[in-house]
Amino acid sequence: MTTTRRDILLGGTALGLAVAGGIPARAATDLKGKTVVFASWGGAYQDAEKQCYCEPFAAATGATVVQDGPMNAAKFRAMIAGGAPDWDVADITIDFLYAGIGDKLFEKIDTRLVHTDRLSPQFVNEYGIGCIVWSYNLGYSTKAFQPGSQPRNWADLFDLKRFPGKRALGDNVVATLEVALLADGVTPEKLYPLDVDRALKKLDTIRSETIFWSTNSQSQQLFVDGEIALGLILNGRAYDAAKKGAPIAISWEQNIQSIDYLAVPAGSRNRDAAMLLIDTMTEADNQAKLANLIAYSPTNPAAFKSIDPKVEPWLSTAPANVKQGFVINAAYWRDHLKPLQERWAMWKLS
Amino acid sequence: MKRIDHRIWLLVPPLLLLLVAFIGPVTWLLSRAFTQPAPGFGNFVELWEHPVYLRVIWNTLLISAITTPVCVAVGFPVAHAMTYANARTRRWLIFLVLLPFWTSLLVRTFATVILLQRNGPLNAMLLGMGIIGQPLPLLYNMTGLLIGAVQVLLPFVIFPLHASMMKIEPAYMQAALTLGADPLRAFFRVYLPLTLPGLMTGATLVFISVLGYFVTPAMLGGVRQLMVAQLIQDQIGQFGNWGIAGALSLILLLATAVLLGLLHATVGLKAVAR
Amino acid sequence: MGGWRALRSAVCVMVALYLLAPLVIVVIVSFSAASFLRFPPPALSFRWYDNLFGDPGWMRSIAISIEVLIPASLSATVLGTAAAYALIRGRVPGASLILGCLMLPIVVPAIITGAGLYGVYRGLGLNGTRTGLIIGHTVLIMPYVVATVSASLRMMDARLEDAAATLGASPWAGFRRVTLPLLMPSVLSGLLFAMVVSFDELIVSLFISTARVRPVTVLMWSNVRGDFDPTIAAIATLCFVFAFFALLLEMIVRRRAGAEHT
Repeated sequence: MTTTRRDILLGGTALGLAVAGGIPARAATDLKGKTVVFASWGGAYQDAEKQCYCEPFAAATGATVVQDGPMNAAKFRAMIAGGAPDWDVADITIDFLYAGIGDKLFEKIDTRLVHTDRLSPQFVNEYGIGCIVWSYNLGYSTKAFQPGSQPRNWADLFDLKRFPGKRALGDNVVATLEVALLADGVTPEKLYPLDVDRALKKLDTIRSETIFWSTNSQSQQLFVDGEIALGLILNGRAYDAAKKGAPIAISWEQNIQSIDYLAVPAGSRNRDAAMLLIDTMTEADNQAKLANLIAYSPTNPAAFKSIDPKVEPWLSTAPANVKQGFVINAAYWRDHLKPLQERWAMWKLS
Repeated sequence: MKRIDHRIWLLVPPLLLLLVAFIGPVTWLLSRAFTQPAPGFGNFVELWEHPVYLRVIWNTLLISAITTPVCVAVGFPVAHAMTYANARTRRWLIFLVLLPFWTSLLVRTFATVILLQRNGPLNAMLLGMGIIGQPLPLLYNMTGLLIGAVQVLLPFVIFPLHASMMKIEPAYMQAALTLGADPLRAFFRVYLPLTLPGLMTGATLVFISVLGYFVTPAMLGGVRQLMVAQLIQDQIGQFGNWGIAGALSLILLLATAVLLGLLHATVGLKAVAR
Repeated sequence: MGGWRALRSAVCVMVALYLLAPLVIVVIVSFSAASFLRFPPPALSFRWYDNLFGDPGWMRSIAISIEVLIPASLSATVLGTAAAYALIRGRVPGASLILGCLMLPIVVPAIITGAGLYGVYRGLGLNGTRTGLIIGHTVLIMPYVVATVSASLRMMDARLEDAAATLGASPWAGFRRVTLPLLMPSVLSGLLFAMVVSFDELIVSLFISTARVRPVTVLMWSNVRGDFDPTIAAIATLCFVFAFFALLLEMIVRRRAGAEHT
């Protein structure tokens, strides 16, 4: 498997011409022998990303992509602090993107290698490229609750009388505080800055009946197993669970919208390969394929036309769904993520 | 005299490995407690001042203290059966107890998760038998952790107990009964004390194991069952806080050492080979 | 007495079920056709094994596990046997103290050993390398070999070796032709157990692995946290089968050794 000088020259020439022309090169044996580590949130979502981004990338470039995870903000930080990061591309939430930029956690996106013009401008950041749009929803078991008496909003999640049974929330301070405040009667406009004490007090009222899932897959499994009657779940994960036969449905009232980005950890030793992987993600076909698999909305507007109409009602970007929700305040979390994560750790043990 | 010299040299490679790959790294970690982020006892002050750490340490001790007697109580009859049953039953029992012991902790704990699910086989069986009316919440709480931990740690109790029991002369019990003691009294005042070395060894092994537990609480316990090992991992893997990690490790190690010391004082330490 | 006997048998049966039921369930779930973990499975299928064997990530991890356990268990067996022999047969000052030290890796919680190795390896660039894993595993499994072999040596009659020496055999020849053959069953037993312990090792490996170089236990752990599909059950079943046959082999070795020494 020796690369002849001819191969290198050809590849190099192609790359050189392409870069000079401003178009990213994708020579067939560009990255043979290279291993790129892709970190994400595990389970059905990561499987979909593997299918829709990583495999086309590996096929086109000859590189090997290794999956890792689950993604964890604190672990990410520790990795950067420790020197050469293990991950080359990471799927991160918008709150972590903003927080991380301030702490210099990411490499600048190489626009020579990534087609940022394919995406709507609001999803293009200097340090990360938006890959999906999604929402936090209230999910509930269709076995536990019959039509007519199904939970609709976050206040219902905290109503132990009308909606008995164990409930689930994420073991994560982001969105959980918002959910608690919304349940306590705060309107989305008055939500930020968050009244943390009030939110934690509200959470205390249901904590003995709550299971805190540590991964999105666990949130799905809890519904599948019937461990919980209702809880917080991401729209795409709910779709995936329902597709696989779980008795779950979601409410779109008060849904909290968010965006995930692909970013490259600062100090990655496979920067160029990482950028090319991100570029694969921007292709409309790949994004549509992912949406059809797991109901997460694309950031490339051209992808919408290839999405299965069946999936539409589950997309957080469907007009009817957007109307009922609001976008999470990433700027707030940029400034408060770290201290609030610590407060959350304390609260859990109290 | 020459022969003795030869044999001592045999010790050099293993001890060298031990020093370089174990004693060195562990000492390094423990030293971080006094050097990171600044020299001194700052980390211990921080541990004392932040209720989270103390709570987790207390939690860990509590969980160990609950698991140990349960393990001993469940393991005792099995060790007894292993000792006094016929050879064939004994071989089967030994195999049955060894098999989980040889299977990875992760596999067994994962299997317990499936077993304890709300719609899982255990609940289904209890419901089917009419013992309960509603499925029990057996996962992500202390119950799940206990069930999983005892399952994994039983061999640690059964084998030392069995070893001890094998050494008990049947004559002692005979004598007690002949002298007029009723079976129950004979058991508690003659038999049980004779099993003490094995029992203490088993109990100590279980307690020490649970102190350092990582996998089981993470998979079967809830957020309230956070234990020291997970905390140490978080401090390193998520916060890069080697000082606190070192301090917590030191405390964990001291607790382990104290328990072993107690065991040695009461029973005498012997290499517990399976 | 009869009542107690019955109670004891009942407890034993329940404990046997308690210990085995989870394992049996995992094996059954690994053949499930459903997409989520659920028992009993709605239908049976090999799809998770296909998934497992077709996935280069899993295959790579299994390869790493094997690449580590073979050198680690062999080294641990050689070093452990040497140490046991020196301590039990030689006249070493402070032998029981040294023996105690050799047992430390079992007694010290793995989280401490793992964190320590990770910290030290960072400076040496040994994290995420096969060498680092082999060294770590060797030091962790060596105590088991030492314990097994030393127990066997204690039970063995030292006079056999003395006799060999009296008859003119050199120390090495004496060891090779008298001690070692008698010791073989427990050495093999130690080796088998060492292999299983290395294959099952999670906590230390978790610290010193990276996404590129990680044994199967570490991959299982990250999957179990982020994933809930029955592929885990398939790999768990394979681990269990490995342990099953290793144990069977070990018990056979012991049985035959016992039979030879009547």
